[in-house]
Amino acid sequence: MASTMPVWTSASPRAALLVALLCLAAVGISPPAAGFSVASLEQRFANGLLVVDGRIDYSLTATATEALESGVDLVISQRLSLDRPRWWWRDVEVVGQERRYRLAYHAMSRRYVLNRLASGESRSYRSLDALLTRLGTIEAWPVIGRDRLDDQQTYRLRFETELDVDALPRLLRTVAWASADWQLRSEPQTLEVRP
Amino acid sequence: MSGLPRQAIVRILLSVLLILSLYLLSAATENSSRFGRLYLWLLLINGVVLVVLSGLIINNLQRLVRSLRARETGSRLTLRLMALFVVLAVLPGLVVYGFSMQFLQRGVDSWFDVRVENALEDALALSQASLDQRMRDMQQRLEEAARDLADVSQEMAPITLGDLRARTGASELTLIGENGRIIAASSMDTDSILPNRPEESILLQLRQGRPYVGLDPIENAGLHIRALVRAPGPDGPGNTRILQGLFQVSPRINDLADEVETAFSEYRELAYLRGPLKDSFILTLSLVLLVSLLFAVWSAFYLARRLVAPVSRLAEGTRAMAAGEYGTQLPPAGNDELGFLVRSFNDMSRRVADVRDAARQSQTLVESQRAYLETVLGRLSSGVLALGPDGTLRTYNQAAVDILSVPLHEGTGQPLSALVQRFPDFSPFVEQIDAHQHEAEGEWRAELSLDTREGRRSLICSGALLPGEGEGGGEVIVFDDVTTLIQAQRDAAWGEVARRLAHEIRNPLTPIQLSAERLQHKVGNRLSGDEAALLQRATETIIHQVEAMKEMVQAFSEYARPPVLQLQRVDFNALVQEVVELYRGQAAQASIRTDLDDQLPWLEADPGRLRQLLNNLIRNALEADAGGACEIVVSTRRRSGRHAGGVELDIEDNGPGFADAMLDQLFEPYVSTKPRGSGLGLAIVKKIVEEHNGSISARNVEGGARLSVRLPTGENGQ
Repeated sequence: MASTMPVWTSASPRAALLVALLCLAAVGISPPAAGFSVASLEQRFANGLLVVDGRIDYSLTATATEALESGVDLVISQRLSLDRPRWWWRDVEVVGQERRYRLAYHAMSRRYVLNRLASGESRSYRSLDALLTRLGTIEAWPVIGRDRLDDQQTYRLRFETELDVDALPRLLRTVAWASADWQLRSEPQTLEVRP
Repeated sequence: MSGLPRQAIVRILLSVLLILSLYLLSAATENSSRFGRLYLWLLLINGVVLVVLSGLIINNLQRLVRSLRARETGSRLTLRLMALFVVLAVLPGLVVYGFSMQFLQRGVDSWFDVRVENALEDALALSQASLDQRMRDMQQRLEEAARDLADVSQEMAPITLGDLRARTGASELTLIGENGRIIAASSMDTDSILPNRPEESILLQLRQGRPYVGLDPIENAGLHIRALVRAPGPDGPGNTRILQGLFQVSPRINDLADEVETAFSEYRELAYLRGPLKDSFILTLSLVLLVSLLFAVWSAFYLARRLVAPVSRLAEGTRAMAAGEYGTQLPPAGNDELGFLVRSFNDMSRRVADVRDAARQSQTLVESQRAYLETVLGRLSSGVLALGPDGTLRTYNQAAVDILSVPLHEGTGQPLSALVQRFPDFSPFVEQIDAHQHEAEGEWRAELSLDTREGRRSLICSGALLPGEGEGGGEVIVFDDVTTLIQAQRDAAWGEVARRLAHEIRNPLTPIQLSAERLQHKVGNRLSGDEAALLQRATETIIHQVEAMKEMVQAFSEYARPPVLQLQRVDFNALVQEVVELYRGQAAQASIRTDLDDQLPWLEADPGRLRQLLNNLIRNALEADAGGACEIVVSTRRRSGRHAGGVELDIEDNGPGFADAMLDQLFEPYVSTKPRGSGLGLAIVKKIVEEHNGSISARNVEGGARLSVRLPTGENGQ
């Protein structure tokens, strides 16, 4: 930026201003480094299946926790995909799976409820930490049958998780889009898979 | 003008776009499910617009400040208009904004009531309290069941658990070992194979000896009471097992609790969302207001400049007019009063330029007429002088300078009398003019003689008043040099007289002489003594006198005879030297000094006639009655100026000079003041000079008289 600035100013101060503004805006809405992070991610083959184990540190911001305790449901998605890299074109996505969980606070029982949206499976926890720990534990997530993988090929496993802002109540959504407190997502984690 | 200027169209388009984006922004605020992520982009775009507008405004402000510093025309008016527009736009906007904010805050807050909130919380607390009692009952039942399990071994546990479940009315009973492993479980719901495991923290609490009872919302199964108690095994209190029981809440209570929970949860959520709601409304409102205001301010710059432009152009045009740039045309400025003003200015400017052009044209005309007149005057042989009303010299022509022999250019703008002081010869002319001027008559004519450096001249002057008052008035004097005319008339008359005289007198002279000689011859011998002597004397007298008369007549006839010149190249200085030498020896009492110009050109002349001329002139000078030692200066010089190329011969004596009355007739025959001489000397001199196309003049100088002979050179003077 610093090296390009003089060029911009000599060319057109207004253009430079615009660029600086866009940069500022980009910085303003970029997610914070902390929040969700993938602590470990491992792949193994078990019973002819490629399965993934992992541990994710979920840590909600104070804003998100307050919203949760005020009755706002949060949705966290975990997305796992297996890609076949191609040097000459975009990678091929062999498998793409997503797990979505709804986090809610049950005021009557004073418990936190974790609900897996696809299966409707639900568990309640006495503390948010317990819930997040459970959420952050991935045990044997089946990805694909080994027979469907090419032995000669190297695959790339990719995992990311984020708070789904679009699933927030509409009033909160507008604020959430502009607020860093709501931009909770992990850096994408990748693993090389050789069958 | 063809409609609106392009900039205005661009601004209108921009404002429409802006309004559209602001509308979308507010729509997104209202209904984010439809616009979703668009809201963020709209926010960003509007933010960018905000910054761009701010930049434009700052740029405009800088321009304004710069033009104010440079004191450009119209900058102060622009500032005032700007300030006016900004105040008009910003103040009401801010007032509306303030009120809107207040309404927004109060309006949103008024939806929420503290009493409602308290009531809901109380309802929740009531529900919890009513369930608390039931929870304690369940815990008691479970503790009793645990005591029944004390003697039951692991193998027997599933059967006992089934009985106990039926007895206690639990929906599920689970026996958990020390290590957290499930020993046995009995469930009312036969579909689910896996028992509902408690979480680790509860197990930890149990191991520490504290029982647990709590509510647990189980999906699709409603609210349950989960209770965990220690259940000592048959192996003794060291090996402690844990009994967990899940009890269904009665459907009625379950429904009620669910409703309370839902209402409470929704109210809490709404209350929580109040903040974001206000924030997004405030953000949208502020953005809309800020963008609108900045757009208004930016447009105010444009409008102010647009309004001021014709005015500042007018000011500049006026300044240009004041500086003499007539004909300045300003671009048209619409159909309003300003446009009318600009059109009027353009008309005025054009007319002024037309008038100036006409004035310039007439000035050129006057100057060309003046040049024409000057050319005409310059070609006139008559001298012309124009005097101003106060008698100062205004205009003259070359002929006037030649005739008067006075450098008139030195006296331009001054009265003629100023020239008289330096050129005294000029005074008779001036006196004549003054005399007539003082008489203040219309036209006058006069003759006068003027003793100029070039010789005595006869002038005929006429004067007339010029028309016009003040600067335009004055007098014009026209005069002619008639010296040569008068001279020619006289010469012609004298020529005729001489010819006749010669003819009439010479004829009888020979018979008279012959008769006298015959008388002497015939009678003289017969007489004697005194008579003979008398006769002798008488006849001799007759013969001598006749001889003299013959000579006189001869001289006359020579005077009248047409010239027969034998022209050849003559070194005039040598000729002068030669003649002067003759007189040096002869006239002992006279001293003749020569002052000859070395650069004298050769003359194409008759040397015999020139010698005669010199003789006559020197003799004339010698004959001047000096009353003492006669001093003669003979000088030659090459002529300069108007007569450049000619030769001038001056002979000055120290005699008494010519009588004033004689000056006009000096060169006529038989005009002499001298006791001796034929009276033809100067007449012959003049004749010889005229034969050589020269001129002669005489004037009195200090301590004597001077005769000046001017002879032209031959072909080219060399």
